[in-house]
This record gives sequence, structure tokens and C-alpha cells, in this order.
Amino acid sequence: MKKALFLALAMTATTSMAAPFVYPAAWTAEQNTANKRGGEFRNSTISDFKTINPFTSAESPSLPTQMSDGTGLFTQDPRTNEFIPDMADGPAVVSNNNKRFVVKIRPGMKFSDGQAITADDWITTWKIHTDDKVGSNTYDNFFLNDKPIVIKKINDMTLQFDFPAQSSKALVLMSYTPWPDHIFGKAYKAGGAEAIKKMWGVGTNPSEIVSPGAWTMESYKAGERAVLKANKFFGEWNKDSKGNALPYLDKYSYRITGDVNAALAAYLAGQIDTFAPRNADDLAQIKKAIDAGNLKAYLKANVSPQAQSSWIVFNWNKSADTAKQTLFRDVRFRRAMSHIANRDAMIKLALGGLGTETYFSTYPIFKSQLDAGQKAGAPQYKYDLAQATKLLAQIGYKKKNADGYLVDAKGKVLEFNLATNSGNTTREQLGQIFKDEAKKVGVKVNFTPIDFNTLVGQLTAKGENRPFDAILLGLNGGDNVWSFGQNVVPCGTNLHSYNNPTDGKCLTSQEQLMTKLYYQGDAELNTAKRLAIGGTLMKTEGELQAVIYLVGNSFHVTFNERVGGEFPANLMDAYYGTRSNPLTFIK
Amino acid sequence: MFPFLIRRFFQSIPTLLLASVLIFFVISLAPGDFLTPARLNPGISEQQLANLSATFGLDKPAYVQYFYWMKNLLHGDFGLSFQYTQPVLPVIWPRIVNSVYLVLLNLVFFYAIAIPIGVYGAVRQNSFGDKAVNVVLYFLLGFPSFFLFLIVIYLILNVRNATGWDIPLGGMTSGNYDQLSSSGQFWDVLKHLLIPALVLAVTDAASLTRVIRGLMLEVMRSDYIRTARAKGVSERSAIWKHTFRNAILPIVAGIGGLLPAAISGAGFVEVVYAYPGITPMLLTAITAQDLYLIAGFTVISTILLIIGNALSDILLAVVDPRIKVG
Repeated sequence: MKKALFLALAMTATTSMAAPFVYPAAWTAEQNTANKRGGEFRNSTISDFKTINPFTSAESPSLPTQMSDGTGLFTQDPRTNEFIPDMADGPAVVSNNNKRFVVKIRPGMKFSDGQAITADDWITTWKIHTDDKVGSNTYDNFFLNDKPIVIKKINDMTLQFDFPAQSSKALVLMSYTPWPDHIFGKAYKAGGAEAIKKMWGVGTNPSEIVSPGAWTMESYKAGERAVLKANKFFGEWNKDSKGNALPYLDKYSYRITGDVNAALAAYLAGQIDTFAPRNADDLAQIKKAIDAGNLKAYLKANVSPQAQSSWIVFNWNKSADTAKQTLFRDVRFRRAMSHIANRDAMIKLALGGLGTETYFSTYPIFKSQLDAGQKAGAPQYKYDLAQATKLLAQIGYKKKNADGYLVDAKGKVLEFNLATNSGNTTREQLGQIFKDEAKKVGVKVNFTPIDFNTLVGQLTAKGENRPFDAILLGLNGGDNVWSFGQNVVPCGTNLHSYNNPTDGKCLTSQEQLMTKLYYQGDAELNTAKRLAIGGTLMKTEGELQAVIYLVGNSFHVTFNERVGGEFPANLMDAYYGTRSNPLTFIK
Repeated sequence: MFPFLIRRFFQSIPTLLLASVLIFFVISLAPGDFLTPARLNPGISEQQLANLSATFGLDKPAYVQYFYWMKNLLHGDFGLSFQYTQPVLPVIWPRIVNSVYLVLLNLVFFYAIAIPIGVYGAVRQNSFGDKAVNVVLYFLLGFPSFFLFLIVIYLILNVRNATGWDIPLGGMTSGNYDQLSSSGQFWDVLKHLLIPALVLAVTDAASLTRVIRGLMLEVMRSDYIRTARAKGVSERSAIWKHTFRNAILPIVAGIGGLLPAAISGAGFVEVVYAYPGITPMLLTAITAQDLYLIAGFTVISTILLIIGNALSDILLAVVDPRIKVG
């Protein structure tokens, strides 16, 4: 009894002395000086939420991700891109050649049901994510090159992470959200993966949902609205710079609109607080509503590039058509194709003048990596039809036939098929512009939009004779720590889509170098050195020109003036977003 | 009656089996599968894709998947939706209920518009009113309803801006729905349903109007109507009691089809109006290749169609003394 009392007293003492995580004042352009509290931020999403289960969720936005706002051992500061301790009580203690990280957990943190957050929650969460029968979307985040990251509980408030190799992404990988062991651990012990998969569907009573983050479930109406309410315990360990509890808001809701136009209509009518404008049309409509006095809103176009790319890739594995295989493997041909891509016209015509030209796999938003690439002398084969003609002549395409198409010595026309996914109007326009420009130099491009699934099947096919000539598609996703794709750059990976033979081997020395540089950069902890390695990788990638990068969309920001607490304008971008939700308030 | 139902039940078994085979394999024939988008994710490894394939049973051949599905179906289990990782029935049920509300209100408007106009067209054949109404209805019939609806939404936005009235722009309930009283909640849902139900009814009314007009004209020329008029029944009685009752027999025969139609939702209007019906869910499921959700829903529709047809036959026997079931 005495012991229990002492323990209780000790715990009370640590809770009251525990330092909270303080959101820097610089993270908001509009300080909530009057400590205005309450109200609801009304967001929207296109399709119905599928689940509240953090282990099976695979959508974006998702309810578990939104609920876990403000969690993770470390969080990235948008001012510096550095990781600062969040649920961790301080920086990690690093040993064993940067492969072992010991982290103390911030004391005094609680789940939305009032239970303390301890090391067990991280351990259970890791175990469930890595059970391959659960099918978690973040399974890969707990492995480095197929070798597992091992997590150990030292005591209730200390965790030890052992990485199989040095990794620049260690802090990213360690910053996963801990879900309650007292709920999931119990279910997992009793019924394994099957029990976990059945938990927390959208039909689950919101009162059963327990969250470690800023929000928890209040209500969900199928296909209509999801309402999250503030986790009242979050404010005990999350404060603003004046010491006020966060979040300020009572609620954060999503209206499910089913269609982007419906979302725009709802935004123009003042029924939702924010909208992601896609193009010049959207921007014009919002501006018109603001000018007419029907909508009081903040509107800024071209805030940053989007974290996405669009590209054309040529297939190097065409054993059934060796002439084409030889052509696609010729670097001069691929450089000529990059010279044909009229990126300026693509931006003007397909993106309504709002976009960025791209020449590398690194998204234009990751500026420091791009700068390092340019410093390393990464080449850009810009729009230049004369240069394209010259390169094609070097390969042997000097004459044109009666139709104006280039032919080789045997009279064979220079032509290939280019496919993209039908229904994506932007990509269809990009392909059409490419085709028209190619015609000018005498290259015949048979451009056909086809079914998305068929296209992905072709792109990710393996073997010596893969079923496509060229594909126009795009990718998104990744982080700004090491912005090269782990399934894209190394030979033999899923999306190494220009060369994917059965044995997965590299064909060129550049591929070998890029694979080596990928792993080298991934393991480099020093930011400047890592950027320099990335720069060399970009130079190699640019010279090889295996993938011809085209253009990227711009990110635009608009939100209703009734909400405050957004980032200062210089911190807003497509990667960090527009605001930190806990600092958002209703004016 | 009872032997008729028993016979119908046994006849429906092979129909359902064949339908289930068709449904399953037609969906399976589509290129790719539920995991195709994941294959384009730079962050998902091949190992993980293999894990997911095994988890969803997508690594087995289609016929094996079918037999598993069929086995579960016989136990009343429609399988798990890939997207929701939950059993299909509880996932689609709330959406079906929402669709039924919209479809039923739409039907009320539909018949309330089509029947009087159809009868008027027959009674005042080729009058200016008849022609004018027909022109308008035909024009609307040729308009895709979702496109018309986009125009309606644009008009509502303008009316809202001009007047400040809170006319719903989409959805089924307002943001403060949970705080309203029961009667307030009822009115809130009705307010949201009115515009889509009405627009749909007006656009669809042309076809039924023409059918009723034609049938009425045919019956009006028959001997027994002439006899009734000769006997001196009132014009109103001649039209509604004698003509209309006999004219609607073919329409009654088609009522069974309303049963699957009621759960199939109101189509693209639900998408444009952001209405939480079954259509947006099905479209997403088809795009995502959520096999069991689509198959489960289609099987339910098929069962309802079979029940609806049997109901039609019974109804026909009720309204037409010349027909007997059994």
C-alpha cells in the first residue's frame, strides 16, 4: 500500500513536472494572442473514408493520420527541415556507428481515454505493422533493404532502436504514431492479425476509438461527414508559446463531397474552410467570388511546386523487336526526345500556365537537392528541335519520307507507341503536345491513352520482352531527407521501369553508379554531404536520361478568412502544407 | 399462390448461380486488380506487395477465389471489402438506405408529374398545352441528368449569393444535424432530398408520360368506354375509373423492376450532389476493383430483381381479373 502510494505520488510529481512540447511561435503568421478557443475547422475530401484502423488504412487523407496529428517521436521543423523532439523527451542518444538510437519518451503524455502513453505502445504498434498477415501500408518503414529494424523496450519510458545499417531516414522511420497497447495489444494477443484487421471499421462506435494525437472521433456518417473532436489530454503536453493548451479548436471535420466540383461549390458557398485549387479555372472562380464579396478568403496562386513528377520512359527490354530495343537503349535518342519535349508549351497549354519545368526525378519543391544537382553539373536537355534533329541524324535518321517522317538507310520510319492512362486529361494533353512536337522533327509517335491498370501492368512488367514502347505517367510521394525513390533508382526494383529484366541486373555503368549512390546517400547522416551525393546521382541520371521528365503542377493555397493560425507565407508549400492544425483557431 | 411461389423459388436457383458466375468473372476479367495503384507507389516494396496479395487472396486463380466466395455466400457471408477491410453487408447497407430515401421521393414526384400530364395529353390530344409540355419534357429527356444537375448547382449558388437563403448544395444533412430535434432532423433530410428528387423526376418524366398518353388513347377508343359514356357516367369517372385503371396494367407489370432500382441509387446525380448514396460508393469500388463489394451488391440486386418479378406477376393478377397465378 505504502509502495503504491509512493508510486502514485511519484507519478503525479513527474506528470506535473513534465515539460510539454511547445509549438514555436514562428510556426504561425497569426498569433492567437487572445487565446480564442472552440469552433470547427471544416475540411473536405472526395471519397468516403474506408476505415479508422491505423493498421489497415491505405488512403489519403485518412482518419487515423488526421487523428494522430502532433504525434511521433520527432517532428520536422518547416523552417529548417531539421527533426526536433516531439514525443521524445530530448534528442536520441546515438551509438554503434549511428545504428543504435536510444530515446527517452516525454513523460506525462496520455491517450484520449486518459491512459498513459508508454514504451509498450510503440512496441505493440511496431509488432502489428510488421506482421505480414495484417497487410499494413507502413510495413516497409520498419525494414531497411529487407532487413528488419529492431525495437526494444528498455523501460516504460525508454526505447532502443537498432538499425541494420546506417540510415539518413532513421528519425523519419522512428517517428511513427504509437497506438494504444491496452486496446490493440490485447486484441492481437487474443486473435492475432485477423482480430486486428476487424477492428475500428467506419461503423465502430466513436466512443471506442482511442487516439494519441490532437484529435479523436466524434461522429461518422457514411459517405457524408466525419467529425473529429479535440483530444482533451493532448493539451496537457502540447502548448503554444504562451503556455496555452492545444489544439484551440473543438472540432475538425471532413465533408465527403464525392467530386471536386462539389467541393469547390461548397467552398464558394462558405460551407467548408479550405480547398485545393487544381488549375487556373478553379483559381478564377474563387477570385471571382472574393471580388464579388461573396467569399472572404485568403488566396495565393503558385505557392510552390507540387511534390509530383510527370515523365516519359522508354522500354529497354524488347527482345522481340531488336531495332526498337537498340534505339531506346541509345542515349542520343533519349536526349533527342528530351529536346523534343516542349515543356513551356506543356505548362501553358496543359497546366494553364501554372507549373514548373522538370529535368530530374527530384521534385522541384526540394530546392536544396535541386541546387546541389545544379552545382554538380547535372545536365538539362532543354527544348531544342535543331539539337534533336542533329542527334537523330547521328543515329542514322537523316532523310524524311513523303509523309515528312524520318527514315533510316533501309527506309524504315522512326516511330514508336506512347501510352498514358485514359481519363487523365492533363497527361493526355502532355502526350499530345509531345506527339505534335515530335512530328516537327519527323518522329512518328502513336499516342494512345489506355486503361490505367493495363498501363501499370505494362510498366511494372519484368522480363526480356516487356509489353510497351514508351509510357507517359507520373509519380508522387517521398520525403525531403533523401528524395530518391527506393523502388525507382536501384536496379531490379519495381519502378526501375526503363530496364527491368528477369534477373533485375543493371545494363549500364550509370545504373550501377546510381544504385551505389542511392544506398550511399540513404546512409549518409550529414545533410550537406548527403545533398552532394544526391547531386552526383542527379548528374548521372541526367546524363543517362533514361527517364524524360516533363513538368510539374503548382500548389495553390486558399482558405476562408474565418480561420487563423496559418503558417507564415514563406513556410507554406506542398510538402508542409498550409498550417499546423493544433495552432489553427477561429477568429 | 403458394405453389407458384415455390416454383419461382426453385427456378431462381440456377438463374442466381449463373448470374453469380457471370458477375464474378466479368469483374475478374478487368485488367489489374485492387493492388494495381499500390504497384505505382515508390514506397511499397515487392515483398509487401506479395504480402498484400496473399492477405486479399489475390494470389490465387480466379476460379479458386470464386469457389471460396460461393462457399461463404451460401452461409450468408458476402466476403470482405478490400477497401474497408470489413464485411460487405454492413458497409453497403447505410448507403443503400440513403439511396432508397432519394429514390422513393423521386418516384413520388415522378408519378405525380407523369400521370397527370400523360392523362392530360390523352384527353386534350394535340392541344397547345399537350405539345408545349411534350417539347419541354423531351428536351429534358435528352439532357444527361448529372449535367443538368451541375447547372442546377450553379443556379443555386447564384440564388444563395443573391438572397442569402440557405439552400442545400449537396449532401443529405446539414452540419448541425446532430443538434437538431427529431422533427428538425426530418425536415433537414427532406430539404436536402427535395432538389435532386425533383430534378431527377422532371428529367425522367417524359418517357412515362408518353407511355401513359399512348395507353390512355388506346383504351379511350375501346367499346366499353364508349358504352360507359353512353350510359352517362361523368367525364371524370370515364377517364379515371374506367380508362386509367385499364390503361396502367402494363405499368403495373413493370413495378417489380422498382425493387432493384430502389437500391441501385439515383445514378450520377448522387455523385454530383455529393449525396451519400450507393452510386458514389459503387463507382469508387469499381475504380478500385473492390471485387467482393461490387459482386456482393450485384448479387443482392439480382435477388431483388427475381423477387420483384414475382411481385409484378402477383400484382398483375390482383389488378387484372383475367390473369391468375398458380
